[in-house]
Amino acid sequence: MRGIGLNIPKVDALDKVLGTSMYGEDFSFSNLLHLKVVRSRIPHAKVVGIETGEALKVTGVERIFTAKDIPGNNRIGVIQKDQPVLVSDRVRRVGDPIALVAAKTIEGAEEACEKVKVIYEELPFVKTPEEALRPFAPPIHEKGNLLIEFNLIKGDIQVGFKEAEIIIEKTYTTTWVDHAYLEPDGGVAFWDEKGRLTVICPTQNVHYDQREVASLLNLPIEKVRIIQPTTGGAFGGRLDVTVQCFLALAAFHLKRPVRLLYTHEEVFQVISKRHPLKIHYRSGARKDGRLVAVEVDILGDTGAYASYGTTVAVRSAIHATGPYEVPHVKIRSRMAYTNNPWSGAMRGFGVPQIAFAHESQMDLLAQALKMDPLEIRKINALQVGGETATGQLLRASVGIRKTLREIERWRNKISLSKFDPERPFLRRGIGIGSMWYGIGNTGIANPSTAQIELSPKGEIKLYIGVADIGQGSDTALLQIASEALAVEIKEIQLIRADTSNTTDAGSTSASRQTYITGNAILKAIENLKKEVLKEASFLLHEEEGDLFVEEGFVKHRQKFCIALPIQEVARRTGRTIRGEGYFDPETTKLDPKTGQGSPYATYAFATHLAEVEVDIETGKVRVLRVIATHDVGRAIHPKNVIGQIIGGVAMGVGFALMEEYIPGQTISFLNYLIPTSKDVPEVIPILVEDQEPSGPFGAKGVGEPALIPSAPAILNAIADAIGERIYHLPAKLERVLEAVQKSKSD
Amino acid sequence: MIRFILNGREIEVEVPPHWTLLRLLRERLELKGTKEGCGIGECGACTVLLDGMPVNSCLVLAPKVEGRRVETIEGIGNKESLHPLQKSFIEFGAVQCGFCTPGVLMSAKSLLERNPHPTREEIKEAISGNLCRCTGYQQIIEAIEAVVNHLKRETI
Repeated sequence: MRGIGLNIPKVDALDKVLGTSMYGEDFSFSNLLHLKVVRSRIPHAKVVGIETGEALKVTGVERIFTAKDIPGNNRIGVIQKDQPVLVSDRVRRVGDPIALVAAKTIEGAEEACEKVKVIYEELPFVKTPEEALRPFAPPIHEKGNLLIEFNLIKGDIQVGFKEAEIIIEKTYTTTWVDHAYLEPDGGVAFWDEKGRLTVICPTQNVHYDQREVASLLNLPIEKVRIIQPTTGGAFGGRLDVTVQCFLALAAFHLKRPVRLLYTHEEVFQVISKRHPLKIHYRSGARKDGRLVAVEVDILGDTGAYASYGTTVAVRSAIHATGPYEVPHVKIRSRMAYTNNPWSGAMRGFGVPQIAFAHESQMDLLAQALKMDPLEIRKINALQVGGETATGQLLRASVGIRKTLREIERWRNKISLSKFDPERPFLRRGIGIGSMWYGIGNTGIANPSTAQIELSPKGEIKLYIGVADIGQGSDTALLQIASEALAVEIKEIQLIRADTSNTTDAGSTSASRQTYITGNAILKAIENLKKEVLKEASFLLHEEEGDLFVEEGFVKHRQKFCIALPIQEVARRTGRTIRGEGYFDPETTKLDPKTGQGSPYATYAFATHLAEVEVDIETGKVRVLRVIATHDVGRAIHPKNVIGQIIGGVAMGVGFALMEEYIPGQTISFLNYLIPTSKDVPEVIPILVEDQEPSGPFGAKGVGEPALIPSAPAILNAIADAIGERIYHLPAKLERVLEAVQKSKSD
Repeated sequence: MIRFILNGREIEVEVPPHWTLLRLLRERLELKGTKEGCGIGECGACTVLLDGMPVNSCLVLAPKVEGRRVETIEGIGNKESLHPLQKSFIEFGAVQCGFCTPGVLMSAKSLLERNPHPTREEIKEAISGNLCRCTGYQQIIEAIEAVVNHLKRETI
């Protein structure tokens, strides 16, 4: 089976249903040592001493590492290198790593951790970004507490508000959300037979990990090998380094295999979270519903370390208008360090938060203007030829209006009664949420590479550095390769996400792999075909210019009897024929003062409609159904795309109604609730395929867009049901009840 | 030393009294298809069947299975002969990261053995102890329903 748009069985599904896939926790060696990390229990302090004497006496303890044992650079970080692998002088959050114990048993390692004595001099605990940015606030990093201030300016905001006939101004807040992937971080490290320090653990980017480990240990890059095993979800939480550096440091010194498995509670404590954002939003429109001005102030809490803080600040600002054309825009977006848990990448890089704000604003404007919420969106929606807030001209594949039309068609069929005579405590409502999402990293080069080979044995091998984290990139990228080569998928061997034999594909994030690596694969195949023709010309004694590749065969323009399978060319030449591909999406750097530019080569669009039922006595919200329309460009594997959408809606339900990480209180799934099979609505996914000319076979991306419109649609539906709006996520029971009370008193 | 029936075969194995069934399966018996997610009985990734009923193997002390029947993912099908649920999960796109998959399959198998014609609500109930962060459950439920409908056709 091959081909674009076909629902072939996912290539990893068989092993997964059999239970034979190997995840990080499944690797083991008979002579390995177990690692455990000693972590700070206080949020901000100078570390004046680390005493390991008692801990070393614990039976089975082999060694305890501290910052002194790091031969290279003890600073990591995906954008700013501000995070120590092991703290030497200062802890900045609860959970900061201080020492690493290696022992013969897990129990021994745990006991030793308890006995490592850390002597602190406590520093003031900076709890909020507002506090962090006050003059004379205790600086958490040398450069101060402001990680970034990004400004986006288009038109003249004062002119815009002068033109406005209605202005809505509100403040929205969101909180920390955990990725809650089910597989705890963990893996193994060892020196392999070729003298490479090898780490096997879940990750979203093996080549980034390789650079960090090499720099930490002062090793040449080729002496470090990172392998991504089957990975149990990630959602951005595995873009930062998790266990890699600990594993590598211990194996480096001990010269024997080591294993580190985080406990579930440790994952909750130490992995990054979704950034809490405070969003002050002011929008102005004319009476006919046209948006004329949008002014937004965003302040985020990046916690103790930068991680993706700058990305979230910039991306949330760029997307702040929503998928609408607005002539006058002014956005200020800031991110501050605090001593809270660090925030990082979490499915959407700030866009889910900002979409909650812009979609609430759209409904408030519609309400004030007595307009249909769909109508006001249709009036303002971006289209081909339109210009974004960063001044980017959209040239193709702007499917937002199509998603709105689909939603309108569905809405006309809905007969949801607001009241239930049998159950007078229920109120029902519907709500709409739209979004746009730039595919790939923001305004910077973010290329991918790929290679394809024909071996003399007739094998076809595809090499990609891409980490499939469960979303299905292995399958989709194989489909792209098989279509372009015109061979069956099962004929292609996939070699992926291993630094020893693949090249940098960048991270599996920003919904970028189908689009970017998909294109790199197409380039590789184009180059492979050129090489094949060269070889075939020699073999067949024909002019290269007369030959061409079609449907997997070398053919001749005049001599129709010539039809040589491309694999046969490699077989006959006795050499491996190879094609290399590189693709970097067409973007421009944003102007540092105004934020103007073309940050993404293409955008995905979506609109969700949610039907909800609110129990006004308990505050419980049930999402009954979500109609989810998505412009994904071309769906390479429609069933996988739909799987992303349904999964995204479920995560959106959690984001809207229940998920809230409370530092110091949230421990595990015991008190961090995510949707179960009984909490999720029926989802009707609808694919709107407005093909992207620069995408592989027209594809864009869907991973993050799937989640983004759900929470806004649900919150708008709650407002429709109870007649009062909630401005803070999640809309948990007490917030709903409070809103119900307010609606009664209004 | 404990004796029990594992995937249809009687076995005898030495195990420290404080070990959980999950640890016994994964570390002593090398059956790694049963996953360790939270380790506190909240996520269901370690679900196995004990005398046909789904249990979180992270909460069952290994000696408690003495004389009983334990089924794991390794026992329900293989490459040559997949269980109908396994086939259906592949066909319906019910598998994403796959970490919850073995546990969900065990819960579903137990349901169908006890109740061959469950309603959609009963299916949701049966897998409500198995958290899944990727799929949103719908394709899982559809995959189970398809097997139910197939069974229905066979009995008619």
